[in-house]
Amino acid sequence: MNTTKNLNARERARLAAEQAAARRRDQRILISVVVAFLVVVVAGGITFQAWRTSRSPSAAPSATAAASPVMITNGRPIPLGSADAPVTITLYEDFHCPHCADFEEEFGPTITQAQESGEARVELYPMAFIDEGSITAANAMACAAEAGFGQPYYLALFANHTLQWSDPQLIDLATKVVGSPPSEAFQTCVKRRAHADFVTSINAAADQNHVAQTPTMLINGKDVAIESLTPESLKTMITDAAQK
Amino acid sequence: MIDPQSSVAAVRAYRLLPSALLTIVGWGLPFAEIALGVLLLAGIATRLVAVASAVLLLVFIAGVASAAARGLSIDCGCFGGGGDVAPGQTAYATEIVRDVGLLLLAVWLVWQPRSRLTLDRFSSERM
Repeated sequence: MNTTKNLNARERARLAAEQAAARRRDQRILISVVVAFLVVVVAGGITFQAWRTSRSPSAAPSATAAASPVMITNGRPIPLGSADAPVTITLYEDFHCPHCADFEEEFGPTITQAQESGEARVELYPMAFIDEGSITAANAMACAAEAGFGQPYYLALFANHTLQWSDPQLIDLATKVVGSPPSEAFQTCVKRRAHADFVTSINAAADQNHVAQTPTMLINGKDVAIESLTPESLKTMITDAAQK
Repeated sequence: MIDPQSSVAAVRAYRLLPSALLTIVGWGLPFAEIALGVLLLAGIATRLVAVASAVLLLVFIAGVASAAARGLSIDCGCFGGGGDVAPGQTAYATEIVRDVGLLLLAVWLVWQPRSRLTLDRFSSERM
């Protein structure tokens, strides 16, 4: 009688220990599955973003605004559009600034239209303060303007703003903009950072002009409040400025 | 889709991480958050995931508070966006209140991980 009782107690203890062990094992498996899931999703996400920034640029939007070679002068903006347009739109932008990409998506078409109709010309300060890609893109922008395809290259840079802007990507973009491989001079200009001093001088000029954020837009020298702007009100502003 | 430049810019704006870590955090963090959200919605290892979410929210609150304390003018980059904004456009108080609200919800789940539609119901585990 006594022996049976003891046996039962022992049996119960053994069962309880087994159950506890099984529970611990299940718990370990669940934790491993959850951690593995997190690792896979995060690694997948990082890989996806790395691919998105390193792939080759998409076809550039067509732009027909006057594209003649321009001179690059340190501290001076890059002129895009007809020199005798009545309205000057001054833009301070960094090709890697997310708000600039948003700005370009919303207002780019209106500005391009004004450039194409000869109503306005853009004076672009391609600032570079965000990362390495800001610098390489700003340099390549100067190279493109010098080579005579500044305007379409500008639009294409923003159309592909998620890219990191390695030299091959910048040259590939030019190929898509021009329709054939760009000149040797352009490629060298990109690879050698021929306009590195110009890029630095633009940052200094922006500083001197008290431009603290990008995008900053001025119409005929007057600051435009971008927060409250719509494409329609911008259009009206340009038309009004042209009539003054 | 999560913009790879914006999400890095949002992290950079806090001026807390060395540049070597900006990209990896900017690209990885949104996906970590999505993964935690999916696990919470499904109710898998709810308590464990709620603890991780609460820790993450504490980090976010500390980040926003430190940005406010250092006098930075940034957007918290919560639910997208982020980066520098004009000095008058910061919303640190609102952002912190929202994060504290989410933190309370996470703590609730740490305390009471069981609910009617959770997958945890089908296992005997208490986590």
